[in-house]
Amino acid sequence: MLLIVPFATFVLALSSVRTRRSASATTMFGTFVTLALTLLIGWALTRKSTSYVATYQYINLSVAFAGPTNFQNFAIDLVIHVDHMVVAALVAIELCVLGAVGWHQVMGRSEPGAARFHAVITALLFASVGVLVSYDLAELFGFWAIGGALTFLLLAHRWGLDEPASRARVALALPFLTDLCLLCGIAWLYARYGTQNLNTLLPILHTNPGWTVRSLVVASVLLMLGIAGRLALWPFTFWITQTAVTAPPAASAIAQAVWSVLGIAVLYRVMPVIVASNQQTVQVFLIAIAVAAIAASVIALLGNEPRRSIALAGSTAVAIGAAVVVSGFRTQSSTFAIAGFAAVLAVAPARTAAWLAISSIASAMRTDDLGEMGDAWNRMRGSATGLAAATAVMALAATGALVYGVTSRSRLGIALGEAVVLMSVAALRVFLASSLGPLERRRAFEPDRVREVPQAAVTWPYWLTLAGAVFLVASLITGWLTFLDGAKHPSSPPLAFAIWVIAALVGIAVCAVAFITNKDAALGASARAGEWLRRGSTDGYGLVDRFLVAPITAITLRVGDWIPAGDSALGRFAGATGGLALSAMRLPAVPVLILVAVVLALVVALIGPGVIR
Amino acid sequence: MSLFLASPSPLPAPGAGLFTSPFLLSLLIWVPVIVAVTIAFMPNPRGRYDTLIKQIAFFTNLALLVLLFIAYNQFESFLPTVQYEEKISWLPAIGATYHLGVDGPGLVMMLLSGLIGVAAVLASLGVRERVRAYFTLLLLTQASINGAIAAHDMFVFMLFWAASIVPIALLVSGWGGPRRGLAASRLIGYWGIGTAFLAVGVFALYAAAGGQSFDMEVLLKAPLNSRVQLGISAVMILAAATRLPLFPLHGWVRDVLSEAPPGVTVIVAGAATRLGAYLLLRTMVQGAPAATHLLSPVLAALAALTVGYAGLAALRAVDVRHAGAYLAMVPGAITVLGIAAVSPLGIAGTVLSLFTGGLAAALIAGVCATLSERAQSRNVLVLSGLAPRMPNIAWLMLIAALALLGVPILSSYMSDVMTFFGAFKTQPIGAFAVAAGLAVSAVALAVLLRRVLFGAPLPDSPGASDASLAETWYLGLLAGALLWVGLFPGGPKIPGTEVPLFDPGLINQMAAGISDMAGPYVLPTPAAPQQ
Repeated sequence: MLLIVPFATFVLALSSVRTRRSASATTMFGTFVTLALTLLIGWALTRKSTSYVATYQYINLSVAFAGPTNFQNFAIDLVIHVDHMVVAALVAIELCVLGAVGWHQVMGRSEPGAARFHAVITALLFASVGVLVSYDLAELFGFWAIGGALTFLLLAHRWGLDEPASRARVALALPFLTDLCLLCGIAWLYARYGTQNLNTLLPILHTNPGWTVRSLVVASVLLMLGIAGRLALWPFTFWITQTAVTAPPAASAIAQAVWSVLGIAVLYRVMPVIVASNQQTVQVFLIAIAVAAIAASVIALLGNEPRRSIALAGSTAVAIGAAVVVSGFRTQSSTFAIAGFAAVLAVAPARTAAWLAISSIASAMRTDDLGEMGDAWNRMRGSATGLAAATAVMALAATGALVYGVTSRSRLGIALGEAVVLMSVAALRVFLASSLGPLERRRAFEPDRVREVPQAAVTWPYWLTLAGAVFLVASLITGWLTFLDGAKHPSSPPLAFAIWVIAALVGIAVCAVAFITNKDAALGASARAGEWLRRGSTDGYGLVDRFLVAPITAITLRVGDWIPAGDSALGRFAGATGGLALSAMRLPAVPVLILVAVVLALVVALIGPGVIR
Repeated sequence: MSLFLASPSPLPAPGAGLFTSPFLLSLLIWVPVIVAVTIAFMPNPRGRYDTLIKQIAFFTNLALLVLLFIAYNQFESFLPTVQYEEKISWLPAIGATYHLGVDGPGLVMMLLSGLIGVAAVLASLGVRERVRAYFTLLLLTQASINGAIAAHDMFVFMLFWAASIVPIALLVSGWGGPRRGLAASRLIGYWGIGTAFLAVGVFALYAAAGGQSFDMEVLLKAPLNSRVQLGISAVMILAAATRLPLFPLHGWVRDVLSEAPPGVTVIVAGAATRLGAYLLLRTMVQGAPAATHLLSPVLAALAALTVGYAGLAALRAVDVRHAGAYLAMVPGAITVLGIAAVSPLGIAGTVLSLFTGGLAAALIAGVCATLSERAQSRNVLVLSGLAPRMPNIAWLMLIAALALLGVPILSSYMSDVMTFFGAFKTQPIGAFAVAAGLAVSAVALAVLLRRVLFGAPLPDSPGASDASLAETWYLGLLAGALLWVGLFPGGPKIPGTEVPLFDPGLINQMAAGISDMAGPYVLPTPAAPQQ
């Protein structure tokens, strides 16, 4: 039912809904029913120690009758496995979808193609459910890729506009590249083990004949790349930052929330494969993720695009969660990998709320530059409060993960602590820049006309922030972690909580002091740094285009032209034959057919028995 | 849920066995020929019976498709032997027989040819000039393709292979765009050379096998030493590379697929070119397994080069039909990667990708052709923001793009998964390279979609209208087939039972004979050198 309800809603939304209102209502209803089902399953699971598992055969093909037995058959099973973790992830996703669709009902009135938009959202929900319940990697990749295609459709929703279309290219190309890495990783594993079902794969990782550490390292790298792309860990953040302004806000919010939850769930699920490779590989992944966390938060400080900053701050929070998951699995004695997952559950609704709130403010102030924003605290108190609360939850969201998963004195702890401080600054500065200071008059813009958005649009970020706060508080409680993974977790000393909360508060305080002291200077510095970054990026892209893309495509085109043109003898022969064919076309069809028949009959008769022999 | 299940159980579909014919394959070949001759002799003063001719062509193809569907339903997937076999002695002096028959791969190809045939006729309903000649040649094309697929005698195969060139070249040169002469001449040149290579390979195989018979049962099972296998395989690769096409023997593809009328584009991209991969499957994998193992890195490299080249060329193409033509090369290269894998799963993926790749290639080439006709321009700098003005074509183009990239729900996902899973076992570098090429193709598709569909409309661009009913139907048929097999690879079942509802499942039917083709990851031992 979990899969059928969103799919049925998709079919309904696609086939029989035309108006914006009915499309939105259908989507809300479908999502709400799915949420109710999820909660029902979650309630049932509290009384049941085992997961719900159902297996359906999708493909079962016998391809060989000899050779290793595990390669004689190829089967893709629809393994539907619902446990506590899946339920929690589903709830987080469904809440984000509900919030974004609810906000879009009011704020997305002018968006074109309402039926298409909502149909794609329901299909994305279907794909998300599919990814979360899949334990067969081929099945998982199937739903993953469907979700990827739908995400592209969502981010490229505004047809007929040049800028959105141009920027949506990266939303197809970059994640597709990393999705291919995921597919290659799964294919690599299948090629070595003859199975892609996690239930049968994990027990034989080190026992299957012919396994090597190298093969597991290759598989791990490919899987990690595939997941990092959709988690939007730096440098794979472009597909969300490039489309931050040009896609409908609800679409961006849903894409970020959904993929962060899906990515962390899949990472958690394939971690046994990654850990089975070797310690060095896992160590490299940890370093890479820590670097990604810091880099994303630093870049979030450069430039004054508010939604880009929120997206990058969210990427940092997700990176911290991912680092805790990897770190938790690396240490055999540790059982706190799940804390990273729990942190991302808190991040997803909070970043959605922040995104929607700042989109409301940006829409009312008609700008995407923090330097031109201001005074939202007085003019749009509801949205500004929602933004403040959401950014605060984002800043604190990783606390539980860090408390349980990382020691503050380790190098990883220091790096992630630094990321928390920077992320707090990056997230909060959006609120401070938009809420404090005067709102300046600009050309064709009258500040006095800025009003709060309709109440319905103000409310949804609050609900999402509340959901994020609930997940955040839950992530600090070991009972929640026990509920998620079924393992017993020891509690942590209060000092650990204090340290990581202080790290976030330091960031918030630094940002507050900077903006209260001199907002313009702070934003000016960001703008200048952002400009340098933009110039650097443009120059970098220019160099890549000049020295890599342009020569390769030029060579390709020249080869393409040279191959047909260079075959001169063949060309002359072909040209003459073509001319003959053209002449033949001018002849009447019937005599030509008769002639051809006669010639063929003669040829056959000549080479037939009795003539040659 | 049982509706979705695939099962290898040999339960027959309801209605199986109701219809049998000892001349089923002959009907599929010669009925189009007879109808073509009839049309050619029909009086048609001033195009008075143009509509009737179109109807005859359409209903002939529809009848053939029904016939094929019956054959598909009654096919015994558990028999590894050739089915619907017809064997009549023809030229005993040289050992050539009129031997027809299909196994799993042949059946898949036949089904593809049937679907493409109907789509091609629907795509051609807009033809206004010399309708009689056009549909005569179209039916002859289809007959020759069916003949090549069904042939189980290499001599007959070669004849049908060569025969398909003539009507296609005439169609291109007679009804194509402004550069039709050049396109037709390149087609004849490249395919002619490919046919020459094929002839050399076939005659070499014939000679090496004792010079007694052209029958595939004899030729492909003859013990050949590794040098002979290598030589024959190399020649066959050249023949297939001109047809499929593979880089660098793809010189005809851009001009032919962009100059031919949509119906011909569909039949060339969808069915005629698949014969190249079919040839490799038959002669290399089945006939020269040792050489196939030796040459598999070459095949993988050709596949990777082709995908990469196609993506890059499409990326820089300013003509939407050129872009479609380049992108139509991608599925063929993935098929070849499966052959290069020489693993059971890779071969299964290859067989499935004969079908899915043909449909995807026909869809992308066809949709680009239809779009350029409807938008009255081929220049991507002029075509922009067409999605709101032609929503049907926009959706179909999107499906074509997703099918090329192997997105799930569409059947190309399954063939790609099987091909990659098989290829990573034996040709990991080639598989990585093809995956990288696919990423380039994704970029090219993103650029194409952005420019043509989702960009800002140009005020000075010519007026554009959405696809007509016939065009929507022909593109929808291709997209629907991709979707159907993707959703129901094992065919729908009667709920609660394992009895197939009306479709036994392509993935079940294609399996017949596959397990005999590829060795189970073991290098076959070549026969001792002949004295």
